[in-house]
Amino acid sequence: MRRLALPIAAAALVALLALIAVTARGPAQPQTRAEAGAAIAAELRCPDCQSLSVADSHTPSAVEIRRQIDTLLSGGASPDAVRQHFVDRYGEWILLAPRSPLAWALPFLAILVGAVLLLAWLRPWQRAEPVAVEQPAAPDAELRRVRDEAEALDA
Amino acid sequence: MRNLRWLLVPIVVVPLTLLLFHGFGRDPREVPSPLIGKPAPSFSLVALDGAKVTGEGLRGRPYVLNFWASWCVPACVDEQPVLIEAARRYGSQVQIVGVLYNDSPDAAHAFLDRYGDGGWPQLTDTGGRLAVEYGVTGPPESYFVDAAGIVRAKQFGPLTLAAMDQRFGALLSARANR
Amino acid sequence: MLPTLGHVAVVIALAASVFALGAFLVGGRGGDPRLLASARRAVYASFALALLACAAMVVSLLTHDLSVLYVARNNATSTPPFFSFISLWAALEGSILFWALLASGWAVLVLHRYRSRHPVLMPWVGATLAAIDSFFFAVLTWPGNPFLRVTPVATEGSGPNALLQNHPFMGLHPPLLYLGYTGMAVPFAFAVAALVTGRLDEGWLAVVRRWTMIPWIFLTLGITAGAWWSYEVLGWGGYWAWDPVENAALLPWLTATAFVHSSMVAERRGSLKAWTVSLVIATFMLTLVGTFLTRSGVVASVHSFTQSAIGPWFLGAITVALTAALGLLVWRLPSLTGTGRPSSLVSRESAFLLNNVLLCGLTFAVLFGTLLPLVVGATGSGTISVGAPWFNRVNVPIFGALLFLMGVGPALPWGRASWSSVRERFGLPVLAAVIVVVAAWALGIHGPASLATLGLAIFAAGIMLDEVIRGARARARGRREDPATATWRLATRNRRRYGGYLVHAGVLVMAVAVAISSGLSSQTSATLRPGESVRLAGYLLTYDRLVVGPLAADPRVTDARAELTYSGSQSGTLGTALRDYPNSTTAIATPSVQSALGEDLYVTLLAYDSATRVVTVRVFVNPLVSWIWVGGAIVAAGSIFAIWPERRRVPVEAVEAERLPLPEANPSAEGA
Repeated sequence: MRRLALPIAAAALVALLALIAVTARGPAQPQTRAEAGAAIAAELRCPDCQSLSVADSHTPSAVEIRRQIDTLLSGGASPDAVRQHFVDRYGEWILLAPRSPLAWALPFLAILVGAVLLLAWLRPWQRAEPVAVEQPAAPDAELRRVRDEAEALDA
Repeated sequence: MRNLRWLLVPIVVVPLTLLLFHGFGRDPREVPSPLIGKPAPSFSLVALDGAKVTGEGLRGRPYVLNFWASWCVPACVDEQPVLIEAARRYGSQVQIVGVLYNDSPDAAHAFLDRYGDGGWPQLTDTGGRLAVEYGVTGPPESYFVDAAGIVRAKQFGPLTLAAMDQRFGALLSARANR
Repeated sequence: MLPTLGHVAVVIALAASVFALGAFLVGGRGGDPRLLASARRAVYASFALALLACAAMVVSLLTHDLSVLYVARNNATSTPPFFSFISLWAALEGSILFWALLASGWAVLVLHRYRSRHPVLMPWVGATLAAIDSFFFAVLTWPGNPFLRVTPVATEGSGPNALLQNHPFMGLHPPLLYLGYTGMAVPFAFAVAALVTGRLDEGWLAVVRRWTMIPWIFLTLGITAGAWWSYEVLGWGGYWAWDPVENAALLPWLTATAFVHSSMVAERRGSLKAWTVSLVIATFMLTLVGTFLTRSGVVASVHSFTQSAIGPWFLGAITVALTAALGLLVWRLPSLTGTGRPSSLVSRESAFLLNNVLLCGLTFAVLFGTLLPLVVGATGSGTISVGAPWFNRVNVPIFGALLFLMGVGPALPWGRASWSSVRERFGLPVLAAVIVVVAAWALGIHGPASLATLGLAIFAAGIMLDEVIRGARARARGRREDPATATWRLATRNRRRYGGYLVHAGVLVMAVAVAISSGLSSQTSATLRPGESVRLAGYLLTYDRLVVGPLAADPRVTDARAELTYSGSQSGTLGTALRDYPNSTTAIATPSVQSALGEDLYVTLLAYDSATRVVTVRVFVNPLVSWIWVGGAIVAAGSIFAIWPERRRVPVEAVEAERLPLPEANPSAEGA
């Protein structure tokens, strides 16, 4: 069972990823106007509350903005045009997700730098010599490790 | 080379301190308006006394749109005598227009009875439509519009006489120069 | 009289702390045990005085002594006793007083416990803690004096912040968070002491890890309780909005978590000293920065305290503490570089270190997002917002990668692993993850973030379960014990590992609950006349009546309560209210949350018309949200299990360490 699990799992994972890739490549899900409006509202800051989006708030301004989103969308405006409509009134401040690409990239760049630094410290290329102390057959070694640890703990 | 590591301390400390220091004295809720220099949004609203007021009708002299609410205490209470004094000082040279922000006419009447009614129109902005057009984030907030109907300044928080003199002075002298 | 007593207590506490600071410094140098003992006693005294000051404030609040400015601003004669009591920490000055109490409390605990141990380190630990206490008492003496008086005395105060007097949880989550924040001063003090004396040996690491874990547990509980509070109170159906206050609590939690993981590598390899010390320093600095951000009015937040003169003091403290700590670190850097690198890229060490990269990346992302509006403002390029959409989209992938490592890490042995011996363990967990993801898709969860989180959590859980079962089976076979006994004995004899598993299990429970609740929650809003109904996700809610009247506990508050009958997988009646507080501009919603393990029915009253009795309600059905709180409790339970004192016996580490072929001995950095 265990021996079979890995290839089956690998196949299933590949199939799942392929499925996701196919769905993602296909035509975008037809969104209803309400869904599109809710998605925009979730990315607009509620003007007269703190840290909440227009979608999560019920202040008059939030209600009015939701109404305007719906009106604009039904008039054929694209989501970007709707967002710009509110940026023209409130400024970039109204967008809960900043538009600058740098704001999105920087955290991931930081992680990349961290990973590179870690790799530089680990220096795997300096011990490229083949693993000489290859353990015996894998399952035995594994079981022995667990048993050894268990005994060591009781010592 | 060995002492280069000491640079680490100022590299971390100085920008952080400067950044946090910069935040002092600034209200993070104060948002600059993108409307400055643009035509004022048009509107047609009914005032508390039943009169109809339109943006086009206000053209010809500078005006200030003052968004306020009876529940906005103490800022709107502090602001009321300033507005009354400005109305007296500038007379018909300028127009003051109040806009109720998320408030009921009854509460607004009670507020005006208590803190003084300057007699300028008080617009009922049902549903906050005009507030959204102007990008208001909370009362009190005021927009100065010149005689040609262009938004020239935004005041976040309560108006002071000094601020009104400065803004109106600029608008009036610009007009006189033309 | 009482307020004067409180103020005098604060001033004397300041004097005692400053004396303790000086005495620790002088006594540590000369090694005079009597001076050190009196320094310790001065710290004990400052704690007692802080307790006295807190008591004076609490009595002033309970008796509504409006001659005290803090009471007049945050209390009213009609405020119920419970909310009067917790007003101690519900506003700026009081919270700093409470903070000082907790900070000096931790100092007493540590100085007393180690009074006859670590003779070289302790004077410096004491000096650092006394310096921190001195700062808080100085703030309380000058810019943040909570005992300031007002004349003339008003006949009525303005009452506590309406949002903060709406739920009993306000009595729970701030103290837990503050215990976590203030406790992080202890590992910081040990870090300073170790850097000054040059003694960053294994004994140091063990003490610091324990004293990081304890506040970490409080921080975990405080964050969970805070999320629960905002879920129960704020009425928008969510529990985490990436508000600066929430981020301020999360940041030190993340770096402390990174420390706990890297310290295990440091312990095994005798290296990474500079890195682990940096994490301890970062954790404490982040508690200060977070406090500054939320108490100086520099960033806008749901419950940030009002702008005040305290900001510059905190900024000064941050600058001094950061300069001092970094300076010490840089000074010691040459003696902190160990050579004990992991011998293989595929090893538990590498997994832990990658985990550190990701946790620090997450810390950076949260800090960056919180400060970005400030940075953009400083550069003069406009005003921007960074909110939940940005935080979710940036942090969920990082968190997903952490979940993946959480699965892979335990499957990898310390030292060197051959990939072939490890990879077969991934089969079943990956299979289980794929099946669960497909099932979740079929159930209607289509968000990629939710699906990925779910799959990775199942994968990690599978590997962990496999690891526990393997261990138990091996032991059961070897000792002829039944599996349950074998698991328990294995766990109690190796608390750190099994406690860690339990902590991971709690995180996984939370991850699954967050993924499913955000993927499957449904909501609607409806305007109803009495007798009308609304349907949502199998529930039928009927609006019965509207009751408007003064609140029993506080008659100044008008309570408008819509009563509804609901039926579905739960049934009964509920009341959801809007409360008008005299000091609040807008009515405060009091959502009704009917919690069950399967799902919550969450009803908020948005608006009502007392004449026509028409109400507008918002209804949410949120599946599995309760499990987020359960997950938090499991995390806390796991960490308590992990640090529970073991019976005295041969240290496990020593035995294990002997068996591990370490490339080098652990040279201690003494005498540098």
